[in-house]
Amino acid sequence: MSAPGPGGAALRIVVFATLAVFVLLPFVQTILLSFTLTLPREGYRTGQFTLLNYIGIFEREDLRSAIANSLTYVTLNVLLCLAAGLPAAYAFARFRFTGDRHVLFALLAFRLTPPVVLSLPIFILFANVGLVNTPVGIALVHCAFNLPIAIWILESFIAAVPREFDESCFLDGQSLPGFFFKRLIPVIAPGIGVTIFFCFIFSWVEVVLARILTVTAGKPITMAINALFGFRTDIGLVMAMTVVSLLPGVAMIWLVRNHIARGFVIRT
Amino acid sequence: MTRTYSNRAWLLLIPALLVMGFVAALPLIAVFNYSFHDIFTLEQAFWIGPDWYREILSDPRFWGSLGRSALFSLIVLSVQVPLGIWLALLMLRMGRLAVPVLILLALPLVVPWNMIAGMWLTLINPEIGVLGKAMDASGIAFDYKFTALHTWILIVTVDTWHWLGLVVILSYAGLSAIPAPYRQAAAIDGASRLAVFRHIELPRIAGALSIVLLLRFVDSFMIYTEAFAINAGGPQDATTFVSLELGEDIKSFSYGRAAARAMLDFLIVLAVAWAFIRIRAGRSGTEGFGA
Repeated sequence: MSAPGPGGAALRIVVFATLAVFVLLPFVQTILLSFTLTLPREGYRTGQFTLLNYIGIFEREDLRSAIANSLTYVTLNVLLCLAAGLPAAYAFARFRFTGDRHVLFALLAFRLTPPVVLSLPIFILFANVGLVNTPVGIALVHCAFNLPIAIWILESFIAAVPREFDESCFLDGQSLPGFFFKRLIPVIAPGIGVTIFFCFIFSWVEVVLARILTVTAGKPITMAINALFGFRTDIGLVMAMTVVSLLPGVAMIWLVRNHIARGFVIRT
Repeated sequence: MTRTYSNRAWLLLIPALLVMGFVAALPLIAVFNYSFHDIFTLEQAFWIGPDWYREILSDPRFWGSLGRSALFSLIVLSVQVPLGIWLALLMLRMGRLAVPVLILLALPLVVPWNMIAGMWLTLINPEIGVLGKAMDASGIAFDYKFTALHTWILIVTVDTWHWLGLVVILSYAGLSAIPAPYRQAAAIDGASRLAVFRHIELPRIAGALSIVLLLRFVDSFMIYTEAFAINAGGPQDATTFVSLELGEDIKSFSYGRAAARAMLDFLIVLAVAWAFIRIRAGRSGTEGFGA
Protein backbone atom coordinates (compact mmCIF):
# COMPACT_ATOMS: atom_id res chain seq x y z
CA MET A 1 0.00 0.00 0.00
CA SER A 2 1.49 3.32 -1.04
CA ALA A 3 0.88 6.77 0.34
CA PRO A 4 -2.29 8.33 -1.06
CA GLY A 5 -1.56 10.14 -4.29
CA PRO A 6 -3.32 13.26 -5.53
CA GLY A 7 -6.28 11.08 -6.51
CA GLY A 8 -6.54 9.78 -2.94
CA ALA A 9 -6.44 13.28 -1.51
CA ALA A 10 -9.16 14.48 -3.89
CA LEU A 11 -11.32 11.49 -2.97
CA ARG A 12 -10.92 12.29 0.71
CA ILE A 13 -11.84 15.93 0.23
CA VAL A 14 -15.00 15.03 -1.69
CA VAL A 15 -16.03 12.30 0.76
CA PHE A 16 -15.48 14.31 3.92
CA ALA A 17 -17.02 17.47 2.48
CA THR A 18 -20.15 15.49 1.60
CA LEU A 19 -20.10 13.93 5.07
CA ALA A 20 -19.76 17.36 6.71
CA VAL A 21 -22.77 18.67 4.80
CA PHE A 22 -24.83 15.59 5.73
CA VAL A 23 -23.91 15.78 9.42
CA LEU A 24 -24.09 19.56 9.81
CA LEU A 25 -27.22 20.36 7.79
CA PRO A 26 -29.72 19.55 10.59
CA PHE A 27 -27.55 21.49 13.06
CA VAL A 28 -27.35 24.51 10.77
CA GLN A 29 -31.13 24.42 10.35
CA THR A 30 -31.64 24.21 14.11
CA ILE A 31 -29.23 27.04 14.88
CA LEU A 32 -30.74 29.27 12.17
CA LEU A 33 -34.25 28.80 13.53
CA SER A 34 -33.09 29.33 17.10
CA PHE A 35 -32.12 32.90 16.11
CA THR A 36 -35.37 33.48 14.20
CA LEU A 37 -38.59 34.90 15.54
CA THR A 38 -41.22 32.30 14.68
CA LEU A 39 -44.28 33.50 16.60
CA PRO A 40 -45.74 36.97 16.01
CA ARG A 41 -44.94 39.47 18.75
CA GLU A 42 -45.75 43.11 19.12
CA GLY A 43 -43.09 45.33 17.63
CA TYR A 44 -41.35 42.49 15.76
CA ARG A 45 -41.92 40.70 12.51
CA THR A 46 -41.77 36.94 12.25
CA GLY A 47 -38.74 35.64 10.45
CA GLN A 48 -36.40 38.36 11.63
CA PHE A 49 -33.14 37.72 13.45
CA THR A 50 -33.61 37.75 17.20
CA LEU A 51 -32.08 36.75 20.51
CA LEU A 52 -35.52 36.59 22.12
CA ASN A 53 -35.63 32.79 21.97
CA TYR A 54 -32.52 32.48 24.10
CA ILE A 55 -33.67 35.25 26.44
CA GLY A 56 -36.94 33.32 26.70
CA ILE A 57 -35.13 30.26 28.06
CA PHE A 58 -33.61 32.23 30.91
CA GLU A 59 -36.91 33.87 31.70
CA ARG A 60 -38.71 30.56 32.13
CA GLU A 61 -38.18 28.86 35.45
CA ASP A 62 -39.30 25.42 34.14
CA LEU A 63 -36.68 25.47 31.39
CA ARG A 64 -33.90 26.61 33.70
CA SER A 65 -34.69 23.94 36.27
CA ALA A 66 -34.88 21.28 33.53
CA ILE A 67 -31.33 22.12 32.49
CA ALA A 68 -30.22 21.89 36.13
CA ASN A 69 -32.06 18.57 36.61
CA SER A 70 -30.45 17.00 33.56
CA LEU A 71 -26.98 18.15 34.54
CA THR A 72 -27.52 16.79 38.06
CA TYR A 73 -28.57 13.28 37.14
CA VAL A 74 -26.01 12.93 34.36
CA THR A 75 -23.21 13.97 36.73
CA LEU A 76 -24.49 11.59 39.40
CA ASN A 77 -24.73 8.79 36.85
CA VAL A 78 -21.15 9.34 35.67
CA LEU A 79 -19.89 9.31 39.28
CA LEU A 80 -21.84 6.13 40.07
CA CYS A 81 -20.55 4.38 36.96
CA LEU A 82 -16.97 5.29 37.81
CA ALA A 83 -17.30 4.33 41.49
CA ALA A 84 -18.84 0.92 40.75
CA GLY A 85 -17.12 0.39 37.41
CA LEU A 86 -13.48 0.97 38.42
CA PRO A 87 -13.17 -1.87 40.97
CA ALA A 88 -15.12 -4.21 38.69
CA ALA A 89 -12.97 -3.33 35.68
CA TYR A 90 -9.85 -3.87 37.77
CA ALA A 91 -11.14 -7.31 38.81
CA PHE A 92 -11.73 -8.35 35.19
CA ALA A 93 -8.42 -6.90 33.98
CA ARG A 94 -6.24 -8.57 36.63
CA PHE A 95 -7.94 -11.74 37.87
CA ARG A 96 -9.62 -14.88 36.70
CA PHE A 97 -12.28 -16.18 39.04
CA THR A 98 -15.13 -18.66 39.17
CA GLY A 99 -18.03 -17.37 37.08
CA ASP A 100 -16.20 -14.39 35.57
CA ARG A 101 -17.38 -15.14 32.05
CA HIS A 102 -20.98 -15.52 33.24
CA VAL A 103 -20.85 -12.10 34.85
CA LEU A 104 -19.44 -10.63 31.64
CA PHE A 105 -22.24 -12.19 29.60
CA ALA A 106 -24.82 -10.91 32.11
CA LEU A 107 -23.37 -7.40 31.73
CA LEU A 108 -23.67 -7.69 27.95
CA ALA A 109 -27.25 -8.95 28.30
CA PHE A 110 -28.15 -6.00 30.53
CA ARG A 111 -26.56 -3.53 28.13
CA LEU A 112 -28.61 -5.08 25.34
CA THR A 113 -31.87 -4.93 27.30
CA PRO A 114 -33.98 -2.24 25.64
CA PRO A 115 -35.11 0.42 28.16
CA VAL A 116 -38.74 0.08 27.01
CA VAL A 117 -38.66 -3.52 28.27
CA LEU A 118 -37.78 -2.45 31.81
CA SER A 119 -39.79 0.76 32.00
CA LEU A 120 -42.85 -0.65 33.73
CA PRO A 121 -41.29 -2.55 36.68
CA ILE A 122 -38.68 0.14 37.16
CA PHE A 123 -41.40 2.67 37.71
CA ILE A 124 -43.17 0.44 40.26
CA LEU A 125 -39.93 -0.52 42.01
CA PHE A 126 -38.67 3.06 42.19
CA ALA A 127 -42.07 4.39 43.31
CA ASN A 128 -41.95 1.93 46.23
CA VAL A 129 -38.58 3.15 47.45
CA GLY A 130 -39.24 6.84 46.84
CA LEU A 131 -36.93 7.31 43.87
CA VAL A 132 -39.49 8.81 41.50
CA ASN A 133 -39.22 12.53 40.63
CA THR A 134 -35.65 12.75 41.87
CA PRO A 135 -32.44 13.00 39.84
CA VAL A 136 -31.03 10.14 41.96
CA GLY A 137 -33.59 7.73 40.49
CA ILE A 138 -32.69 8.58 36.90
CA ALA A 139 -28.96 8.51 37.70
CA LEU A 140 -29.37 5.00 39.12
CA VAL A 141 -31.52 3.63 36.34
CA HIS A 142 -29.16 4.84 33.62
CA CYS A 143 -26.50 2.62 35.19
CA ALA A 144 -28.38 -0.33 33.67
CA PHE A 145 -26.87 0.47 30.28
CA ASN A 146 -23.92 2.71 31.26
CA LEU A 147 -22.23 0.57 33.90
CA PRO A 148 -21.46 -2.31 31.48
CA ILE A 149 -19.96 0.19 29.02
CA ALA A 150 -17.94 1.84 31.79
CA ILE A 151 -16.58 -1.57 32.82
CA TRP A 152 -15.60 -2.49 29.23
CA ILE A 153 -13.82 0.82 28.58
CA LEU A 154 -12.00 0.92 31.91
CA GLU A 155 -11.07 -2.75 31.64
CA SER A 156 -9.35 -2.25 28.29
CA PHE A 157 -7.39 0.73 29.63
CA ILE A 158 -6.36 -1.06 32.86
CA ALA A 159 -5.35 -4.18 30.91
CA ALA A 160 -2.94 -2.01 28.92
CA VAL A 161 -1.07 -1.08 32.12
CA PRO A 162 1.62 -3.66 32.90
CA ARG A 163 1.01 -5.81 35.95
CA GLU A 164 4.38 -4.81 37.39
CA PHE A 165 3.01 -1.31 37.89
CA ASP A 166 0.48 -2.62 40.46
CA GLU A 167 3.05 -4.76 42.18
CA SER A 168 5.57 -1.97 42.60
CA CYS A 169 2.85 0.28 44.04
CA PHE A 170 1.82 -2.36 46.56
CA LEU A 171 5.49 -2.93 47.45
CA ASP A 172 5.68 0.79 48.19
CA GLY A 173 3.07 0.14 50.86
CA GLN A 174 0.00 1.54 49.07
CA SER A 175 -3.35 0.30 50.36
CA LEU A 176 -5.92 -0.78 47.76
CA PRO A 177 -7.96 2.47 47.92
CA GLY A 178 -4.74 4.49 48.00
CA PHE A 179 -3.52 2.60 44.94
CA PHE A 180 -6.76 3.30 43.04
CA PHE A 181 -6.86 7.03 43.77
CA LYS A 182 -3.18 7.96 43.82
CA ARG A 183 -1.65 5.61 41.25
CA LEU A 184 -4.14 3.87 38.94
CA ILE A 185 -6.50 6.77 38.17
CA PRO A 186 -3.72 9.15 37.02
CA VAL A 187 -2.28 6.42 34.76
CA ILE A 188 -5.60 5.61 33.07
CA ALA A 189 -6.84 9.24 32.96
CA PRO A 190 -7.62 9.06 29.20
CA GLY A 191 -9.71 5.94 29.90
CA ILE A 192 -11.60 7.79 32.63
CA GLY A 193 -12.19 10.59 30.13
CA VAL A 194 -13.57 8.23 27.47
CA THR A 195 -15.75 6.53 30.11
CA ILE A 196 -17.14 9.87 31.26
CA PHE A 197 -17.81 10.78 27.63
CA PHE A 198 -19.78 7.64 26.76
CA CYS A 199 -21.69 7.55 30.09
CA PHE A 200 -22.45 11.24 29.71
CA ILE A 201 -23.81 11.05 26.19
CA PHE A 202 -25.88 7.90 26.71
CA SER A 203 -27.43 9.32 29.88
CA TRP A 204 -27.93 12.83 28.47
CA VAL A 205 -29.83 11.68 25.39
CA GLU A 206 -31.96 8.94 26.99
CA VAL A 207 -35.68 9.67 26.90
CA VAL A 208 -37.83 6.66 27.80
CA LEU A 209 -36.71 6.01 31.37
CA ALA A 210 -36.11 9.66 32.19
CA ARG A 211 -39.71 10.36 31.19
CA ILE A 212 -41.43 7.66 33.19
CA LEU A 213 -39.44 8.43 36.34
CA THR A 214 -40.40 12.11 36.37
CA VAL A 215 -44.14 12.34 36.88
CA THR A 216 -44.59 15.64 38.65
CA ALA A 217 -41.15 17.07 39.30
CA GLY A 218 -37.51 16.81 38.33
CA LYS A 219 -38.29 16.94 34.60
CA PRO A 220 -35.21 16.53 32.42
CA ILE A 221 -34.35 18.83 29.53
CA THR A 222 -35.74 16.34 27.00
CA MET A 223 -39.18 16.42 28.60
CA ALA A 224 -39.08 20.21 28.95
CA ILE A 225 -38.58 20.40 25.18
CA ASN A 226 -41.49 18.00 24.60
CA ALA A 227 -43.68 20.15 26.82
CA LEU A 228 -43.04 23.17 24.57
CA PHE A 229 -45.05 21.56 21.77
CA GLY A 230 -48.68 22.59 21.88
CA PHE A 231 -51.40 24.51 20.15
CA ARG A 232 -49.10 27.32 18.98
CA THR A 233 -45.64 25.89 19.18
CA ASP A 234 -42.85 28.45 19.35
CA ILE A 235 -40.46 26.59 17.05
CA GLY A 236 -37.80 29.23 17.59
CA LEU A 237 -37.86 28.61 21.35
CA VAL A 238 -37.84 24.82 20.81
CA MET A 239 -34.78 25.12 18.58
CA ALA A 240 -33.02 27.49 21.01
CA MET A 241 -33.63 24.98 23.80
CA THR A 242 -32.32 22.19 21.54
CA VAL A 243 -29.15 24.19 20.89
CA VAL A 244 -28.69 24.68 24.64
CA SER A 245 -29.20 20.93 25.16
CA LEU A 246 -26.32 20.27 22.74
CA LEU A 247 -23.76 22.47 24.46
CA PRO A 248 -22.67 20.14 27.30
CA GLY A 249 -22.28 17.26 24.83
CA VAL A 250 -20.20 19.38 22.46
CA ALA A 251 -18.01 20.43 25.40
CA MET A 252 -17.55 16.74 26.31
CA ILE A 253 -16.53 15.89 22.72
CA TRP A 254 -13.98 18.68 22.79
CA LEU A 255 -12.50 17.46 26.09
CA VAL A 256 -11.95 13.88 24.93
CA ARG A 257 -11.28 14.57 21.22
CA ASN A 258 -7.76 13.14 21.31
CA HIS A 259 -8.68 10.00 23.25
CA ILE A 260 -12.07 9.13 21.80
CA ALA A 261 -10.44 6.98 19.13
CA ARG A 262 -9.28 4.50 21.72
CA GLY A 263 -12.89 3.37 21.87
CA PHE A 264 -13.79 0.20 23.63
CA VAL A 265 -14.23 -3.53 23.08
CA ILE A 266 -16.42 -5.94 24.96
CA ARG A 267 -15.04 -8.95 26.69
CA THR A 268 -16.99 -12.10 27.20
CA MET B 1 -1.59 -10.82 29.55
CA THR B 2 -1.75 -13.40 32.30
CA ARG B 3 -4.35 -13.01 34.96
CA THR B 4 -4.04 -14.67 38.32
CA TYR B 5 -6.79 -16.87 39.65
CA SER B 6 -8.40 -15.42 42.76
CA ASN B 7 -11.98 -15.59 43.92
CA ARG B 8 -11.37 -12.58 46.15
CA ALA B 9 -11.86 -10.56 42.95
CA TRP B 10 -15.58 -11.05 43.54
CA LEU B 11 -15.29 -8.51 46.39
CA LEU B 12 -14.35 -5.86 43.81
CA LEU B 13 -17.52 -6.65 41.86
CA ILE B 14 -19.88 -6.06 44.80
CA PRO B 15 -20.73 -2.38 44.08
CA ALA B 16 -21.36 -3.09 40.39
CA LEU B 17 -23.43 -6.20 41.14
CA LEU B 18 -25.56 -4.34 43.71
CA VAL B 19 -26.34 -1.56 41.25
CA MET B 20 -27.02 -3.94 38.35
CA GLY B 21 -29.12 -6.18 40.58
CA PHE B 22 -31.32 -3.29 41.61
CA VAL B 23 -31.75 -1.50 38.29
CA ALA B 24 -31.56 -4.41 35.83
CA ALA B 25 -31.92 -7.91 37.31
CA LEU B 26 -34.79 -7.15 39.70
CA PRO B 27 -36.93 -5.33 37.09
CA LEU B 28 -36.25 -8.11 34.58
CA ILE B 29 -37.50 -10.73 37.04
CA ALA B 30 -40.55 -8.55 37.70
CA VAL B 31 -41.35 -8.33 33.96
CA PHE B 32 -41.02 -12.09 33.72
CA ASN B 33 -43.50 -12.47 36.59
CA TYR B 34 -45.99 -9.91 35.18
CA SER B 35 -45.98 -11.66 31.83
CA PHE B 36 -47.90 -14.60 33.37
CA HIS B 37 -50.56 -12.38 34.95
CA ASP B 38 -53.60 -10.49 33.86
CA ILE B 39 -53.09 -7.15 35.60
CA PHE B 40 -55.90 -4.74 36.34
CA THR B 41 -54.21 -2.96 39.20
CA LEU B 42 -51.17 -4.11 41.11
CA GLU B 43 -53.44 -5.55 43.80
CA GLN B 44 -55.67 -7.25 41.26
CA ALA B 45 -53.42 -9.46 39.22
CA PHE B 46 -54.49 -12.95 38.21
CA TRP B 47 -52.28 -15.81 37.20
CA ILE B 48 -53.13 -16.83 33.67
CA GLY B 49 -50.07 -18.86 32.74
CA PRO B 50 -48.63 -18.45 29.26
CA ASP B 51 -51.88 -17.07 27.76
CA TRP B 52 -50.34 -13.73 26.77
CA TYR B 53 -47.52 -15.49 24.95
CA ARG B 54 -50.02 -17.69 23.11
CA GLU B 55 -52.07 -14.64 22.15
CA ILE B 56 -49.11 -12.62 20.92
CA LEU B 57 -47.50 -15.48 19.01
CA SER B 58 -50.74 -16.28 17.19
CA ASP B 59 -51.27 -12.62 16.26
CA PRO B 60 -50.21 -11.89 12.65
CA ARG B 61 -49.57 -8.24 13.62
CA PHE B 62 -46.75 -9.36 15.92
CA TRP B 63 -45.07 -11.32 13.14
CA GLY B 64 -45.56 -8.34 10.83
CA SER B 65 -43.77 -5.96 13.17
CA LEU B 66 -41.10 -8.55 13.91
CA GLY B 67 -40.41 -8.84 10.18
CA ARG B 68 -40.28 -5.06 9.81
CA SER B 69 -37.90 -4.70 12.77
CA ALA B 70 -35.64 -7.43 11.37
CA LEU B 71 -35.68 -5.78 7.93
CA PHE B 72 -34.93 -2.39 9.46
CA SER B 73 -31.96 -3.81 11.40
CA LEU B 74 -30.71 -5.54 8.26
CA ILE B 75 -30.87 -2.32 6.21
CA VAL B 76 -29.30 -0.25 8.98
CA LEU B 77 -26.43 -2.69 9.51
CA SER B 78 -25.73 -3.16 5.81
CA VAL B 79 -25.65 0.61 5.24
CA GLN B 80 -23.89 1.85 8.37
CA VAL B 81 -21.27 -0.84 9.01
CA PRO B 82 -19.62 -0.92 5.52
CA LEU B 83 -19.90 2.87 5.23
CA GLY B 84 -18.44 3.37 8.71
CA ILE B 85 -15.51 1.01 8.09
CA TRP B 86 -14.81 2.63 4.72
CA LEU B 87 -14.74 6.11 6.29
CA ALA B 88 -12.49 4.84 9.10
CA LEU B 89 -10.10 3.38 6.49
CA LEU B 90 -10.01 6.73 4.66
CA MET B 91 -9.24 8.50 7.94
CA LEU B 92 -6.32 6.21 8.77
CA ARG B 93 -3.72 8.09 6.79
CA MET B 94 -4.89 11.55 7.74
CA GLY B 95 -2.93 11.78 10.98
CA ARG B 96 -4.06 14.72 13.13
CA LEU B 97 -6.70 15.64 10.56
CA ALA B 98 -8.68 12.61 11.68
CA VAL B 99 -9.53 14.38 14.94
CA PRO B 100 -11.80 17.06 13.38
CA VAL B 101 -13.58 14.30 11.45
CA LEU B 102 -14.12 12.36 14.68
CA ILE B 103 -15.48 15.49 16.36
CA LEU B 104 -17.81 16.07 13.39
CA LEU B 105 -19.10 12.50 13.49
CA ALA B 106 -19.57 12.52 17.26
CA LEU B 107 -21.88 15.55 17.14
CA PRO B 108 -25.14 13.69 16.35
CA LEU B 109 -24.44 11.32 19.27
CA VAL B 110 -25.02 14.08 21.82
CA VAL B 111 -28.43 15.16 20.51
CA PRO B 112 -31.28 14.16 22.85
CA TRP B 113 -33.18 11.36 21.11
CA ASN B 114 -36.54 13.07 21.12
CA MET B 115 -35.06 16.09 19.34
CA ILE B 116 -33.48 14.13 16.50
CA ALA B 117 -36.79 13.61 14.74
CA GLY B 118 -37.70 17.24 15.45
CA MET B 119 -34.51 18.54 13.85
CA TRP B 120 -34.98 16.42 10.72
CA LEU B 121 -38.69 17.09 10.34
CA THR B 122 -37.94 20.81 10.51
CA LEU B 123 -35.15 20.41 7.96
CA ILE B 124 -37.43 18.74 5.41
CA ASN B 125 -40.44 20.93 6.16
CA PRO B 126 -41.30 22.57 2.80
CA GLU B 127 -42.21 25.88 4.48
CA ILE B 128 -39.39 26.48 6.96
CA GLY B 129 -36.77 23.83 6.21
CA VAL B 130 -33.69 24.40 4.07
CA LEU B 131 -33.86 20.93 2.54
CA GLY B 132 -37.66 20.97 2.35
CA LYS B 133 -37.60 24.23 0.38
CA ALA B 134 -34.88 22.92 -1.92
CA MET B 135 -36.80 19.71 -2.61
CA ASP B 136 -40.00 21.65 -3.15
CA ALA B 137 -38.30 24.00 -5.62
CA SER B 138 -36.77 21.13 -7.58
CA GLY B 139 -40.07 19.32 -7.75
CA ILE B 140 -39.25 16.36 -5.52
CA ALA B 141 -42.42 15.33 -3.75
CA PHE B 142 -41.21 13.83 -0.50
CA ASP B 143 -44.23 12.70 1.47
CA TYR B 144 -43.08 10.86 4.58
CA LYS B 145 -46.52 11.00 6.16
CA PHE B 146 -48.41 8.94 3.62
CA THR B 147 -45.86 7.16 1.43
CA ALA B 148 -44.44 4.13 3.19
CA LEU B 149 -41.23 4.06 1.13
CA HIS B 150 -40.52 7.69 1.99
CA THR B 151 -41.09 7.06 5.72
CA TRP B 152 -38.62 4.19 5.55
CA ILE B 153 -36.06 6.31 3.68
CA LEU B 154 -36.42 9.07 6.24
CA ILE B 155 -36.07 6.76 9.27
CA VAL B 156 -33.03 4.97 7.79
CA THR B 157 -31.42 8.33 6.89
CA VAL B 158 -32.09 9.78 10.34
CA ASP B 159 -30.78 6.65 12.06
CA THR B 160 -27.65 6.69 9.87
CA TRP B 161 -27.09 10.36 10.67
CA HIS B 162 -27.48 9.59 14.36
CA TRP B 163 -25.29 6.48 14.67
CA LEU B 164 -22.71 6.52 11.85
CA GLY B 165 -20.32 8.30 14.23
CA LEU B 166 -20.31 5.43 16.71
CA VAL B 167 -19.49 2.94 13.94
CA VAL B 168 -16.66 5.13 12.63
CA ILE B 169 -15.22 5.92 16.09
CA LEU B 170 -15.06 2.28 17.14
CA SER B 171 -13.80 1.03 13.74
CA TYR B 172 -11.17 3.77 13.62
CA ALA B 173 -10.13 2.89 17.18
CA GLY B 174 -9.59 -0.72 16.12
CA LEU B 175 -7.83 0.14 12.86
CA SER B 176 -5.46 2.73 14.30
CA ALA B 177 -4.31 0.22 16.93
CA ILE B 178 -2.81 -2.01 14.20
CA PRO B 179 0.97 -1.52 14.13
CA ALA B 180 2.23 -0.04 10.84
CA PRO B 181 4.75 -2.88 10.15
CA TYR B 182 1.83 -5.27 9.50
CA ARG B 183 0.63 -3.17 6.58
CA GLN B 184 4.14 -2.45 5.34
CA ALA B 185 4.95 -6.16 5.26
CA ALA B 186 1.80 -6.82 3.26
CA ALA B 187 2.66 -3.97 0.86
CA ILE B 188 6.10 -5.44 0.24
CA ASP B 189 4.44 -8.76 -0.54
CA GLY B 190 2.37 -6.92 -3.14
CA ALA B 191 -0.96 -7.52 -1.47
CA SER B 192 -3.92 -5.61 -2.90
CA ARG B 193 -5.79 -3.08 -0.75
CA LEU B 194 -8.69 -5.52 -0.50
CA ALA B 195 -6.40 -8.37 0.57
CA VAL B 196 -4.77 -6.18 3.24
CA PHE B 197 -8.21 -5.36 4.59
CA ARG B 198 -9.49 -8.94 4.43
CA HIS B 199 -6.47 -10.69 5.94
CA ILE B 200 -4.75 -8.10 8.11
CA GLU B 201 -7.15 -5.38 9.17
CA LEU B 202 -10.46 -7.21 9.45
CA PRO B 203 -9.26 -9.93 11.86
CA ARG B 204 -7.65 -7.30 14.06
CA ILE B 205 -10.70 -5.04 14.32
CA ALA B 206 -13.06 -7.98 14.83
CA GLY B 207 -13.35 -7.23 18.55
CA ALA B 208 -14.24 -3.59 18.00
CA LEU B 209 -16.61 -4.54 15.18
CA SER B 210 -18.42 -7.05 17.39
CA ILE B 211 -19.52 -4.38 19.81
CA VAL B 212 -20.52 -2.14 16.89
CA LEU B 213 -22.61 -4.90 15.33
CA LEU B 214 -24.27 -5.83 18.62
CA LEU B 215 -25.04 -2.26 19.72
CA ARG B 216 -26.30 -1.25 16.30
CA PHE B 217 -28.37 -4.44 16.08
CA VAL B 218 -30.19 -3.94 19.39
CA ASP B 219 -30.65 -0.22 19.08
CA SER B 220 -32.03 -0.49 15.55
CA PHE B 221 -34.11 -3.59 16.29
CA MET B 222 -35.71 -1.82 19.25
CA ILE B 223 -35.87 1.67 17.69
CA TYR B 224 -38.60 3.64 19.40
CA THR B 225 -38.12 7.35 20.04
CA GLU B 226 -37.18 8.46 16.52
CA ALA B 227 -39.58 6.13 14.70
CA PHE B 228 -42.48 7.13 16.92
CA ALA B 229 -41.79 10.83 16.57
CA ILE B 230 -41.46 10.63 12.79
CA ASN B 231 -44.69 8.88 11.89
CA ALA B 232 -45.98 6.92 14.92
CA GLY B 233 -45.76 3.63 12.99
CA GLY B 234 -47.60 4.85 9.93
CA PRO B 235 -48.61 5.01 7.20
CA GLN B 236 -50.93 2.08 7.93
CA ASP B 237 -48.47 0.25 10.18
CA ALA B 238 -45.74 0.32 7.50
CA THR B 239 -43.23 1.42 10.15
CA THR B 240 -44.74 -0.26 13.20
CA PHE B 241 -41.73 -1.95 14.78
CA VAL B 242 -41.81 -4.33 17.77
CA SER B 243 -41.00 -1.54 20.22
CA LEU B 244 -43.86 0.60 18.93
CA GLU B 245 -46.30 -2.25 19.52
CA LEU B 246 -44.86 -2.61 23.01
CA GLY B 247 -45.32 1.11 23.57
CA GLU B 248 -48.97 0.81 22.49
CA ASP B 249 -49.58 -1.92 25.06
CA ILE B 250 -48.02 0.14 27.85
CA LYS B 251 -49.99 3.23 26.88
CA SER B 252 -53.25 1.29 26.86
CA PHE B 253 -52.45 -0.06 30.37
CA SER B 254 -52.37 -3.66 29.17
CA TYR B 255 -49.47 -4.43 31.49
CA GLY B 256 -49.59 -8.21 31.40
CA ARG B 257 -49.47 -8.32 27.62
CA ALA B 258 -46.85 -5.55 27.57
CA ALA B 259 -44.69 -7.64 29.93
CA ALA B 260 -45.04 -10.76 27.77
CA ARG B 261 -44.17 -8.72 24.68
CA ALA B 262 -41.19 -7.20 26.47
CA MET B 263 -39.95 -10.68 27.44
CA LEU B 264 -40.29 -11.92 23.85
CA ASP B 265 -38.37 -8.91 22.51
CA PHE B 266 -35.70 -9.34 25.16
CA LEU B 267 -35.33 -13.07 24.41
CA ILE B 268 -34.97 -12.41 20.67
CA VAL B 269 -32.25 -9.81 21.28
CA LEU B 270 -30.47 -12.10 23.74
CA ALA B 271 -30.66 -15.11 21.42
CA VAL B 272 -29.13 -13.14 18.56
CA ALA B 273 -26.37 -11.78 20.83
CA TRP B 274 -25.61 -15.26 22.18
CA ALA B 275 -25.55 -16.88 18.73
CA PHE B 276 -23.28 -14.09 17.51
CA ILE B 277 -20.84 -14.61 20.38
CA ARG B 278 -20.80 -18.40 19.90
CA ILE B 279 -20.04 -18.01 16.19
CA ARG B 280 -17.31 -15.46 16.89
CA ALA B 281 -15.75 -17.60 19.61
CA GLY B 282 -15.86 -20.67 17.39
CA ARG B 283 -14.24 -18.88 14.49
CA SER B 284 -11.42 -17.15 16.35
CA GLY B 285 -10.75 -20.21 18.50
CA THR B 286 -9.98 -18.04 21.50
CA GLU B 287 -11.76 -17.86 24.82
CA GLY B 288 -13.76 -14.82 23.81
CA PHE B 289 -13.52 -11.81 21.60
CA GLY B 290 -12.25 -8.33 21.84
CA ALA B 291 -9.56 -9.33 24.30
